Order: sequence, then C-alpha cells, then structure tokens
Amino acid sequence: MNKEIKRIIIILTVLCMTFISLIVYISYFQIFKASAIKNNSYNKRLWINEQTILRGSILDRNGNVLAYSEKEGDSYKRNYNYGSLYSHIVGYSYREYGKSGLELYYNNSLLNISDSTPINEIKNIVIPNTTGNNLVLTIDHNIQSRARSLIDGKKGSIVVMNPTTGEIYAMVSYPDFNISNLNENWKEISEDMESPLINRAIQGLYAPGSVFKVITAMAALENSSYETQYNCIGSEKIEGYVFKDYEGKAHGPIDLKGALVKSCNTYFINKSLEIGKDTIGKISERFFFNSRIPFDLPVKSSQFPYKEMTTDVEVAAASIGQGKVLVTPLNMALIASGIANEGEVVKPILVKEIVTKDGKVLKQSDIEILSQGINPLGANTIKDMMVEVVKSGTGVNAKIKNVTVAGKTGTAENSSGKNHAWFIGFAPADNPKVAVSIVLEEDGSTGGKAAAPLARDIMLYTIENIKD
Amino acid sequence: MFKGEIRKQSPKNLLLLFQILALLLLLAYEQMHADKMIFIMAMGLILIIYLSNYLLIKISSGDNYIFLIVTMLITIGIIVIYRIDEKLGIKQLTWISLGIFLFFLVYFMVKRLKKIDDWLYLYLVLAYLLFIITFAFGDRKFGAINWVSFRGFAFQPGEITKIVLIFLLASYYSNTEKWRHIKYSSYYIMGVVYSFIALLFLQKDLGTALVFYIIFASIQFIYEEDRKLILYNIGLFLGSGVLGYVLFDHVKIRFQAWLNPWIYIERQGYQITQSLFAIAEGGFFGKGLGMGHPDFVPVVYTDFIFSAICEEMGIFTGIGIVMLFMIFVYRGFKIAISQENRFYRILAIGISTLFGIQSFIILGGVLKMIPLTGLTLPFISYGGSSILSSFIALSILQICSEDMTSREDTDE
Repeated sequence: MNKEIKRIIIILTVLCMTFISLIVYISYFQIFKASAIKNNSYNKRLWINEQTILRGSILDRNGNVLAYSEKEGDSYKRNYNYGSLYSHIVGYSYREYGKSGLELYYNNSLLNISDSTPINEIKNIVIPNTTGNNLVLTIDHNIQSRARSLIDGKKGSIVVMNPTTGEIYAMVSYPDFNISNLNENWKEISEDMESPLINRAIQGLYAPGSVFKVITAMAALENSSYETQYNCIGSEKIEGYVFKDYEGKAHGPIDLKGALVKSCNTYFINKSLEIGKDTIGKISERFFFNSRIPFDLPVKSSQFPYKEMTTDVEVAAASIGQGKVLVTPLNMALIASGIANEGEVVKPILVKEIVTKDGKVLKQSDIEILSQGINPLGANTIKDMMVEVVKSGTGVNAKIKNVTVAGKTGTAENSSGKNHAWFIGFAPADNPKVAVSIVLEEDGSTGGKAAAPLARDIMLYTIENIKD
Repeated sequence: MFKGEIRKQSPKNLLLLFQILALLLLLAYEQMHADKMIFIMAMGLILIIYLSNYLLIKISSGDNYIFLIVTMLITIGIIVIYRIDEKLGIKQLTWISLGIFLFFLVYFMVKRLKKIDDWLYLYLVLAYLLFIITFAFGDRKFGAINWVSFRGFAFQPGEITKIVLIFLLASYYSNTEKWRHIKYSSYYIMGVVYSFIALLFLQKDLGTALVFYIIFASIQFIYEEDRKLILYNIGLFLGSGVLGYVLFDHVKIRFQAWLNPWIYIERQGYQITQSLFAIAEGGFFGKGLGMGHPDFVPVVYTDFIFSAICEEMGIFTGIGIVMLFMIFVYRGFKIAISQENRFYRILAIGISTLFGIQSFIILGGVLKMIPLTGLTLPFISYGGSSILSSFIALSILQICSEDMTSREDTDE
C-alpha cells in the first residue's frame, strides 16, 4: 500500500471514530443523564402536563387536606391550606420558582405520569390521563400544629415519629415560610439570612453534643470497657488538651450509667480511647452515620468521619458529640427509635399511601427494618439508663406523670458561640409509642432546660391524641 | 448482465418503500387536516427521487449509493420540517427539487469541463469575491454575518466558498510539480486558507471556520511533502484558538455555555439546554411524530433539527442518522481511493470530509459533546443555500466516482 492511500485511510478512520463517539455519547446521555435533565424545572414540558392534568391532593393521616388543585380558567391552580405549617414537607409547586419537597419528589405520582416505557406511552395516547394521584402522609395535622407552636420564635427542628413503624407524625423546621403566597414574598424568603427554605430536620447538620453519648455508651457495652470504675475530677487531659465537665463540676466515682445520667464528659473522654474510634464508628454507622437514610425526601448524611481522625483529641471530642461529628435531627430521632425498638432501626416513612382519585391504593409503605443497631439486651440496658436520665438526671424536665419517659439531653458547643439545645427520647419506655428528636439551634441554653420541656409536651400530646 | 441490473436497481426500490412508509407516517400525523395538495407534492417528490435514482444508474458509471443515502436523509429531514412548520416544509420541498435539478445540471456541466484542475487563480479570486460579497451586503443573523439578501432571497455565500476551497486545494495539491518552482508555495496556500479562517472569524461564523480548517488539515496531512508544515499548522491553529478565546467574547461565551450551560440557562445556555431537554424527553423510541414539543427549541428547523428528530423519533433514529453519515463518508473515501486522477481524488476526499466534519460538529454541538457552533446538518436542516450547495457538492462527488482517467484518454 502506498503512502497516500495509507494516509487517506487514517483520515477515514479518524472521521469514523468521531461518528462512533457520537453514538456512544448519545447512548450514554440517554441512559445515565436524561432522567435528571428531564426533571429540571426549566424544562417547559413538565409544566405542559400541569395544564392538562389535575394535580393530586396531599392529605395527612386523618384525611385533612394539606394541598389541592382546582380549575381556574384553562389551567389549574395549586392551593395550600395551612400557610407555612407544611412549607418543608409539602413544599411548593410554582411555575416561577420550580418545585420543592414532596411536590418535587412525588411530582410523577401527583400527576400520575408513569415511567416512560413504550407500553405506557401507547396507553397514554389511547386513554389520556387527566387526574393525578393523591398522597396520604403519616403526618398528624394536630401533632404537627402543636410541634410548630412549641418551636415558634425559636430556631431549629422537631421530629416526632413512631419508633416501631417508622411513621413520621410531625416534622417541623423553623424558621419556615408561607407557601400559599410565594409570589408576594419570594425575594424576602430567598434572601433571608436565617435560610427558611432549608428543611433543617433533614438538611441541617448539627453538632450533637451529649445526645451522641448514647452511641458512645453502646460502643462501651460492645467491648466491655464499661466494667472498670472511673473517678471524675471535673476535667480530663488528653495530649495536653483539657476537656472539662459542664461548669467544671466533679462527679466523683462513676460508672457508665451514672455518666450517662449526669452527662459526665470526662468519663466518656477517658473511655473513648479505650473503646477505640473504630468501635464507635461501627456502631454509629449501624445508625446511618456516613450514609444516606432512605426517605421520601433527600436526607443529608450525618458524619462521624472516624477514618480521618488521627489524634486522640479528635476521638475524645467526637465521643461527646463535639468536633467532627455532625448529625441531622431526623437521624437522632432514628437513634432514639432504634433504642426504643430493641435495637432495630426502622425506615422512616412520610408518604403512607399513594391513592388514585377513585380511592384505589397504588402503593403502600410497609414497615422495613433497616439495620440492627445494637442487640436487644444492649438496647434495653441503654433504655434503662435513659429512663434514669429523665427520672433523676439532666432530663428531669421531660418527666410525665404516670408515663415512664426515656431520654437524653445535649448541649452542643458550636462556632456561633451559642450552644444548640438537644433532646432525644421516647415514651412510654416499656411500650414505646412515640420517639422525638428536638434541636434548638443556637439557643444558648442547655438541652435539659430548653429542649426537654418541649419534648415532654409533644410526647404527652402524641400519646393522648394519636390514633393508629 | 441482466442479473447485475436487478441488483443495481433493488436498493432503489427499498428506498421507495422507505419513502412511502415515511409519507404514511406524515399522513397519520396530518389526518385531521389532510391536504390533497401536500399529498400530491410529496408523491411528486418521491417520483422525482425515484426517477433520479433510475436515471443516475443509467447515465453514471460511478457510485449508486451516495445519492440513495442522501435521499434517506432528505426524507427524514422533510418530514420533521413539515411537522414543525408546514410552510417551511413546502418551501423545503421546492428547494430539494431545485437541488436535484442543480445536481444533474452541475453533473453534466462540470463533467464536460476540461483542465478544471488548472484554474487555481480563478478559485482564489472566486473565494475572495464571495467573502467580499458577504462583507459588503451581509446581514447579521443569529449573531453571525453570513447571510446576503438579494431581492428577497437570502443566501449564504459561505456555503459555496466551502466547495471553492476544496477546488482550490485540489487544484494546488494535484499539480505540485507545476508549483515547485515557486519557493514556499505550500506556505502561501496555508496563508490563503488562514486568511479565509480569519475572515470567517470576523463574521463570527466559527462553525464554518472549523470546517475550513479541518478540510485543509486533512488534505494537507495526506498530500503535503513538507511534513513539518503540518506541525506548524496544528500549532498555529491551537495558538489562534487560545488567542480567539482571550480576545473575542463570542468565543468565550460559547465555551462557557458548553462547560456549564445550566448556570447560564436563562441566556447563553438557553439553546443548548432546550436541545438537551428535547433529546432527553425523546428517550430511545421518541415521543412519536407530533407528540413532542420541538417548538420549545430555538431555530429548531436549521441548526437544532437533530434535537427535534430525537425528541419525536427517539435516539434510535438519531443513531440511524449518524450511521447514514458514516456510511456516506465511507463511500466518499472509497470513491477517493478508487479514483486514479489525483485532482478528482482530492475533490472526493475534500467533499467527504466536508460532509463528515460538518455533520459531526453540529451533532456534537446539539448534544453538548463539543462546544456549540452554528452549522446546518447537511441534507436535513431547512435552508436553500445549505440544500443547494450540498447537492452541488454531491454532484461533484458523483463525478469523482467515475473513471476520469479513461475519459481523458478517449477524449484526447
């Protein structure tokens, strides 16, 4: 073959390669990228459906209508009945601002758009779909309202759930915003320094402080390091760094139970090195740290980066929920539920059922055990300690007459200088019906003083009012 | 002999079947307001194409496939254009008929011309003249000055310049002995091509500039004896690319809109993101003709026609189109290799590269695989200049597929 022909073939090969790369790229695009691109709110096709399909309603567990659509002229108008109460759960659906919350993540169900398979497409041509499906939530409107009134004017989040089924009864994030008239105050909402658009319950990452000690306590049970006694003198020195107890108070000779009840920092700091970061890390990961909690709305991953912790000081700080540990309020509720539920961590559920307009149930959420966080024996041991926390320890403000409450308080230092006040717990301890997780962001007060009374109120209210 | 005739004719019949099916598809879409006129016109086009194919086999001893491939492309194109805008569809029908007429006209004329490989200076003058016309009478459309309006008809001289460039290069590289006495003649040619590219840059017609460069680089790569010139060429191109990015805002904008169109979705990224929405919505099988919303994509009937095809007919049709272009380029190169006459061989390479690279640049652009530059998709996009010039180029490729050496022998 002469040189000229050889070169011609090189050029031909290059051109053919470019065409083949086009085919590969277009296939890759269609398989991996197309579905995300299609759902971009700038895609006008999404809103075309909106004009021809009656968007489904969103209801609470007792049938209260939270959001519904009605015909207005040629198109449909979305109405929200409760202003800002469901700003983070239901979210919004506005042409101008796009969608959020369940309105976004359940858009296809609300509009009854099936996955794009050829059969479905033909079906849709023959019988065009005009009505969307309704969502029935696990939320109880009364509990949600109560939780919202408790946190009104503070900043933070309350999650109330059933520890054995995973149903979320209430999920409040404050500050919130009014979803029924976004047009009037969108600018204000989107520029607000307190970021009301963020759903703190699932998107907020907080230093947990002492509520994290339940994880460390479980890790201590795991490798028997709790058996040895410890004498608390109010401070503990690790590699030259001095950790102090709350207000420098010495607790004297103390065991694991006493340390949890009195929330003794130095005990856990001292034991943390004995327990080891790997054991704490392993337990925390069983409770969904460093991974995504499967949920109907996207949850940020809580962090316990034990593989990156190189010094003892970091491990010690992490053992009392300071330093590099960060957690979402929903995750803390899941931990409380896991302890209440003999160590079994249940999948949190927000959307109970998807129902057609004729009342046919299309999809029902079932109870699902995600992991065994700790063995039942260990869970009950921690539970007894948490009962003691409320009975005689830092959580006395959560005490309810005739009901045994289990709980743990937390007061987390953070960069703002004002502590976060935490409380997690469940009740009744022998037959748990409700689990809560409360965080009051930059409250300045302690978990026992600020968060425990709110927990008491919402748990009592739930036990008295909840219908299965 | 008779058997061979059948074999030659059968692809043409398959194509007829393809076109009738396509027409049925169009009628199914149009059932609500089926127009007799449209039906007659479409049947007319099918007839013209069928006869052309028949005629071509009779009169041309060359390749029978390139025209068939082009007919398939045209059929898909016209259906989609008609679906987007009926008036444009009918106009496109007229352009295609005119294009086929021009195809035969050029075929007979150019074939008869002798010594066309000797007219280097004529091509040079013609190319610059076309540029002068563009600058003197050009309008700005979609950000680029490449349209010239004359008595209500707008055309793009750049489309013709592409063909002139190929003639110019073929004429130079097929007579290297003749130009050897001029020192650095290859440098002069490179300078001329770069002057074209610079002029296109000034017109903000980046797509065509890139097509010019690649045609030149390919032919240079095959025929230039001074190999270090090729390195200079690549270096110079990269250098001027970077310089262009720094100096010209329109280059920068295109590049940024390619890197992340989503943050510029309201403005620079609008076209490309709308195109991606359309392609993504189509899936593998498409929404079905008339079921999508290609009207959301700006200038969908020219540059973004591929997005509309993907939305309504799926990427399987899209891949089909890519493959048709690939087969076309392959045939073109096959023609070049079997052509003994060097001038016609270079013409065949140039024209195949032109179709190949132009379709790649615009397809890659609408897919966001490469930065978007405005170009038409040959034979599919709407547009008189694009269709006519493509048919002229096709006609020349048809001539190149014939045995030009034997013709010269018998003539002289």
